Amino acid sequence: MARPMFKKILIANRGEIAVRVIRACRTLGIQSIAVFSDADRNSLHVMLADEAYNIGPAPSRESYLNIDRIIEVAKKSGAEAVHPGYGFLSEMPEFAEALSRAGITFIGPTPQNIRDMGDKIASRELMKKAAVPIVPGTPGAIQTVEEAEKWAHEIGYPIIIKASAGGGGKGIRVVYERKELASAFRACQSEGKNYFADDRVFIERFIQNPKHIEIQVFGDAHGNVCHLFERECSVQRRHQKLIEESPSISVPQKVREEMGRVAVKAAQSLRYLGAGTIEFIFDNSTKEFFFMEMNTRLQVEHPVTEQVTGIDLVHEQINVALGRPLSFKQSDVKQTGHAIELRICAEDPMTFKPAPGKIRLCRNPQGPFVRIDGYAYPGYEVPIHYDPMIAKLIAWGHTRDEAISRLQRALAEFMLTGVKSNIILHKNILAHPTFLDGSYTTQFIDRDIAGKQQKLFMFVDENVFLITAALEAYRRAKGRDVSQYNIASRWKAFGRTKQMRS
Amino acid sequence: MYFQAEANDTKYEINVHESRDGWQVSLKPAGSDWIHYEFSKSDYQYMDDTISFLFKNSSYLLDVTAAGVDYTVYTRGAFRTVKLYNEEKILHESLKGGKSLASSDSMASEMPGKIVKVFVKAGQAVKAGDPLLIMEAMKMENELRAAHDVTIKTVHVTEGQAIEANTVLISFTK
Repeated sequence: MARPMFKKILIANRGEIAVRVIRACRTLGIQSIAVFSDADRNSLHVMLADEAYNIGPAPSRESYLNIDRIIEVAKKSGAEAVHPGYGFLSEMPEFAEALSRAGITFIGPTPQNIRDMGDKIASRELMKKAAVPIVPGTPGAIQTVEEAEKWAHEIGYPIIIKASAGGGGKGIRVVYERKELASAFRACQSEGKNYFADDRVFIERFIQNPKHIEIQVFGDAHGNVCHLFERECSVQRRHQKLIEESPSISVPQKVREEMGRVAVKAAQSLRYLGAGTIEFIFDNSTKEFFFMEMNTRLQVEHPVTEQVTGIDLVHEQINVALGRPLSFKQSDVKQTGHAIELRICAEDPMTFKPAPGKIRLCRNPQGPFVRIDGYAYPGYEVPIHYDPMIAKLIAWGHTRDEAISRLQRALAEFMLTGVKSNIILHKNILAHPTFLDGSYTTQFIDRDIAGKQQKLFMFVDENVFLITAALEAYRRAKGRDVSQYNIASRWKAFGRTKQMRS
Repeated sequence: MYFQAEANDTKYEINVHESRDGWQVSLKPAGSDWIHYEFSKSDYQYMDDTISFLFKNSSYLLDVTAAGVDYTVYTRGAFRTVKLYNEEKILHESLKGGKSLASSDSMASEMPGKIVKVFVKAGQAVKAGDPLLIMEAMKMENELRAAHDVTIKTVHVTEGQAIEANTVLISFTK
């Protein structure tokens, strides 16, 4: 049953999550094996891992999604297990199955778990059977505009149309009035078909004061399931999370306990293995919660749960993958203090457009109660092929106010230049009354932040930009080139020392 | 040294004067009066890889990148691109036909990526806000729209084409 600790784990991912898993491996005395695409030779995970293998060209489809190639490397390197991180192959049952055929352990749920929760319509049916509350909606996929109109009338406007396989902001439309329905319905069908090769769509009630609250669950091979309380992830742009915190100050204690109970029951009904997250849409006026979907993987925002529970989730994933029982009981899991995570992305803080490019300076904040999970370093070129998130900044405090103060302090220390980043956006959010009083909903960014340029720069005297630019232009004209002075001096120095050594 | 500058949709004139141990910088936003600043060389210092600037006793750590006339200044998690034209550049621009500094008759890519779809053809008249093309970069599709009512002169790219940053995509006439 329980096996001795793995000696080698392959990490089928890149970026900060690959670095996070390498750290867990090293803590446990496990050798880590990185894989990388042609675009990622200089990525931090390659340098931190014990071994690293090139798995193909930059496009994900030819490298990080190439199951055959990854399994070939796993065999060659002698990996006993593979950690998929999040995204890429983490929720593909075919990958878990192919690993199992090759005699390699998949650090994650069973292929059946992934299949059960992978389809939005099917997963909702399963959750209904497990007595998990569901948002009122169509019982299955609908085909025609006429059908859509009938159901929309029954459910009541506003409604939301979703493509069954949709995600990442694709294949989703909100409809407030009947006259908008037909065109929105067709758009969802065609996006579902074009992006996910699946044109099934369904309709449900659109909740007007929605918060995104999710429960972390953990199951082992012995039938034990625990929850690790909630995370609130309502600060989102482009339907993607930007800030996550635990606990949520909007959830009353009684509702919190109920959400935990419901989530554990749901995971038990699935015989769920490993780390998973049950996402709920939470009505902040009625304090009702409804099942949205289950993510059958480690989440980007897992550090906030780690900070408030003291449980290392990646360590626990490895533990459970070995067939060992969970290292804790439900009564051992306590929520202590408050943790908040900010996603730092190379993107325009006003338009949220990704802004890849070469990082010049990168100084991570340090000091008490601050954690950085990231992979950027000075001179690193953020590639265009992957996600623009380069770091997560997490702070813990006894209270939410203390965690926020520590984040503000850490943001003031954060220096990242050469690429556009959303650091200034985070500074604005942490000073916004709607974030501070906790009343924010998933519409917060669109409604209160997006496009408010003047406020974004309230921390800098406008003339500082002009004077500095003019002084550097002056120096350049005088032949003292600014770039000579500043660009990648550390890398030049590094190159020189290397030459001297050889 | 005299400059004309543009930042955040405002035009400025700037004068920089260097003395043995100090700087005098004067700024004139369009339509306003000159503002004069004077500070010592020790107030504006080069550290290892950053600039430390004590501006009216506020402590700023800065970094600057320069590409052509664009100077991008990074500080306190914010950044701003300032266009700077010295006398030589101003002359050069005026020889090109007296266009205003910010006027443009083409649209270029802000970042490297791939053209997914092109909606317009040469000779076609488009209205402000009309979609021109879709470009994919970093997993996201971005729709680029016309900023003004214009007529398309040339479409320089085709669907499926991979492009670098600052590639001219479409040129047009007003």
